[in-house]
Amino acid sequence: MNKFIGKISVTEVIVWTFLSLVLLFTILPIAFMVCASFMDAKQILAMPFTWIPSKEYFTTTDRTFATNFIKAILGNNEDSIFFRTLLNSLIVAISVSITTIFLASLCGYGLAKFKFKGKNVIFMSIMATMMIPFEAIMIPLYMVTSSLNMINSYRGLIVPFLVSAFGVFQMRQYLLTFPSEFIDASRVDGMGEFKIYANIVLPNCTPVMATLGILSFRNQWDNLLWPLLVSQRETMKTIPLYITKFSEEKQTDQGAMMAIALLASIPMFILFGFLSKYFLGGATVFDSRKG
Amino acid sequence: MSNKKRYSIEQKQAKWGLLFTVPCVLFFAVFCFYPIISAFVTSLTDAKILSKTREFVGLKNYIYLFTKENGGFSLYNSIRATFVFTLGTFIPMVIVSLIISVLLMQLRKPSHRGFFQIAFYMPAVLSSVVAAAIWMILFDPRGLFNQFSNFIMFTSGKDFGWLVNTKMLQASTMIVYFWKYIGYFVILFITGLASIPSSLYEAAIVDGSTKWHTFWRITLPLLKPTVLLVSVMAMLQCLKTFSTQYMFHQGGAGRQPIDVITMNIYFTGIRNGRIARASAMSIILFVIMLLLTLLQFKVSNSDDVEY
Amino acid sequence: MKKILLTMLVILMIVPSFVFAQGEKEDENVTIEFWTHEDANRQKLEDRYISEFIETHPNVSVNVTRQSSTKMIELVQTAFAAGEGPTIFNLSINDEYPFMAAEVVAPVDFKAAGYTSKDSLVDSYVAGMLDPVVIDGEIYGLPLELTNWCIYVNKNVFRDAGLNPDTDYPKTWEEMFEVSKKLVVREGEILTRRGYDFRYPYYLESMVPMVEQLGGSLFSEDGTEAIVGEEGWIGWLTYMQKWGPNGENLGSPTYKNARKLFNSNNNDISMATTGLYQQARINHDNPDFYNSDDWMVVPYPKFENAVKDVAACYYGHYYMVNDSENDATKKAAWQLIGYMLSHGEEYLTNVNIIQPTKALMNSDTYHNMPFSEVFTTDFERGHVVYFGANSTEIQNLIRNAVEGVMLQNVEPAQAYRQLKNSVQELIDEE
Repeated sequence: MNKFIGKISVTEVIVWTFLSLVLLFTILPIAFMVCASFMDAKQILAMPFTWIPSKEYFTTTDRTFATNFIKAILGNNEDSIFFRTLLNSLIVAISVSITTIFLASLCGYGLAKFKFKGKNVIFMSIMATMMIPFEAIMIPLYMVTSSLNMINSYRGLIVPFLVSAFGVFQMRQYLLTFPSEFIDASRVDGMGEFKIYANIVLPNCTPVMATLGILSFRNQWDNLLWPLLVSQRETMKTIPLYITKFSEEKQTDQGAMMAIALLASIPMFILFGFLSKYFLGGATVFDSRKG
Repeated sequence: MSNKKRYSIEQKQAKWGLLFTVPCVLFFAVFCFYPIISAFVTSLTDAKILSKTREFVGLKNYIYLFTKENGGFSLYNSIRATFVFTLGTFIPMVIVSLIISVLLMQLRKPSHRGFFQIAFYMPAVLSSVVAAAIWMILFDPRGLFNQFSNFIMFTSGKDFGWLVNTKMLQASTMIVYFWKYIGYFVILFITGLASIPSSLYEAAIVDGSTKWHTFWRITLPLLKPTVLLVSVMAMLQCLKTFSTQYMFHQGGAGRQPIDVITMNIYFTGIRNGRIARASAMSIILFVIMLLLTLLQFKVSNSDDVEY
Repeated sequence: MKKILLTMLVILMIVPSFVFAQGEKEDENVTIEFWTHEDANRQKLEDRYISEFIETHPNVSVNVTRQSSTKMIELVQTAFAAGEGPTIFNLSINDEYPFMAAEVVAPVDFKAAGYTSKDSLVDSYVAGMLDPVVIDGEIYGLPLELTNWCIYVNKNVFRDAGLNPDTDYPKTWEEMFEVSKKLVVREGEILTRRGYDFRYPYYLESMVPMVEQLGGSLFSEDGTEAIVGEEGWIGWLTYMQKWGPNGENLGSPTYKNARKLFNSNNNDISMATTGLYQQARINHDNPDFYNSDDWMVVPYPKFENAVKDVAACYYGHYYMVNDSENDATKKAAWQLIGYMLSHGEEYLTNVNIIQPTKALMNSDTYHNMPFSEVFTTDFERGHVVYFGANSTEIQNLIRNAVEGVMLQNVEPAQAYRQLKNSVQELIDEE
């Protein structure tokens, strides 16, 4: 039934070839970014493309391989605001992850393990918010944020994203499968509802919470439109804004662009490197109701 | 006596359930429901971004969008652009990620599988601004992708116009999106596949089923809920696309071919200052998304998905 | 006794409050939010002027926010929409017009800005330069810069192609076409060196004059009909079609902006449309190139069979003040503006931007700027850019038309008809 060449079946060869092609497709652009960040713009657009950064293409005498990175960090005004920008992105992303984890678990728990009037209506409405595109509510949201005096502040960047409907969904799905016996037993033992949530339910949700936290972090790291509206002052800008600003000013310096792109991606790569299990687990949680 | 006790326990539970849910509900009320309602109300006025007063004009904005050109960027063009993008992206994404995940399951060692999963997922880790920046350079006429296209098509020096030609430009945005999210959907399918108990497969082999037969008769049907969920998610994600098209346009590409609804909303509202009209477009997009989601659920009609 | 004490107490309490109240009015703490677009050279001047101003006005604090020029309009608009508009901002006049129309900006406070009367203010500027910001006799802004564009030429590229830049530079658009054909270097279909490329996406400023040269115009005399002069428009659109990838492939909006490549002197572009300020940027980016004799500026070309001689439009950036601020803030804002603008010559020498005061235009400093005569003559050949409530949308529509014929195989006649209909629709709405 299966054809073999030596110890390897033909099917395996096909499988590996196909997968390797897909691998190339996904990895090469990232490799490109890494290599290009050391190159002079002239080399990046040279035809044919040479992968190894080389001094041949340097157009000015004071260039080194690190020039792109220096330009990226110094920024357009040579004020190294890059570090502050990085800090802002970190603060916002981490805060949103934390609030999302807790609020989503709170809400998911309520929706999964309790019966009350209007529960389904509430759940459906929260799910419906996933269909609201951000651009639709962008302006009214901006008005709300400014009337709460949160423009140009961390609050303004964090509060509109305190919790995501997707997060509520994931927690609810997961908690539906949480054995109710533990909860009931604790109630009989006289434990307060909140204590049950904090001590019994929450500690058992760590995989979901980790995944949720990571996804929220990633989404906030990536957020462009909202900070564009809210962070008008230089000191409050976030990384995506930094990149777009840089690309507008130094359009032709593709090397510096890639250096910035690389620097901006490093935190995410680090996170991914250590916590890949939770990134990938994003899907596991989804179908966990199958047991 | 016991009736009263049971009643109050249920009441107490209900109260707690509500209590747990209320913070989120409040949040969504302020930051989701209020804005969308406000957008709807605005769409019934003639508000411009700087105007101090606004007048109620009823459905005028909606009628305008369906009958006029909107300064050259009509609603119909946006709907067309959005649909072409969505269908051209999410259908291949779902199919290809399904194929990839099935192939991955064929690998003998789980460590190999893990390696590929991580590698495929990497683009999703990048921010969309970074992805757009990389691909804009790749799609430059002198860039790597054009050189590669020349290589595959056995031509040389031909400018395929990835950022220029109408059809190619749309294809470029689809490629970027596809590249970014394929790994994510592979993971989703792998999980779905992994949750099918292997006993079923064993039984099938015992019964003499071929791999192909097994796939069509056992795997796919059991995978239906996952396929449905993945499709809906992918579709919604594609309908909401913005940054890829926006970054390409900022980088010099034309707007008309890729003027997806979200981008039209942004430009009409923020650049041209016609927030009432932009709000009307937002409501229209919202309704489209709602209808398509309901349609998808109806078409597959899985009981599995009901809660 | 008690009564006397009581009255004394009351007086003691009231009198100081008068004294201090007076003082409060003058020393009221004021914060100015100043938004402007980025320019490395101008920034240095601004930062200096602002710190000097703060020293003499200790109750004023100034927060400067700089954005890229393309983003400014969106950010300023959204800020105003939420009631968070900056105190002082500057945009190109066609982007500023909506603010005037919506009455959200304040009229100039002449005294604060350092003038004795409205007339002396008007008088100090070259005739007509303030007109774009005048509505019903009130002046709503003061010019930061008035700019027009000419053609910069990189002589090295000409020589490299075997041409003599001093004689062979293009004087007509037809010559521009032919010269670019000789200057262009390609790899297959891909341009690695362009002769000239247009200043996309600024169609109102840099390309509408081409239409006007051929007899077309944006509007009819009475303003009721849009996109008049079919031959002019179709003539221009056909020229652009031949220029682009579907014609002779001499350039396209998708390549990097010519003016951004020009400074590096990298043999990838020979001519670019840009203003006097470009010189400061060349000097900043590439002093060797700046100080060499290898670049020059020539006037805006004219079609051979042009019916009118029109150069590129000039546009202005005007400082405007948010009307919703309190009086003290507005006054301080105009004071700051007046102070900054009193340094016209420094703006000219350090940033190469022109403040159209009579004093500056007649000064030696101006006359000594390289190629300033070219800019002056083109100022006279041209007119102010179109500004109005819909200018942004019209700009977008023209962009659409051009991209259609250049990138999407739309026929010029069809693009013209579509453009005419869309713009007509726009102005009919008013």
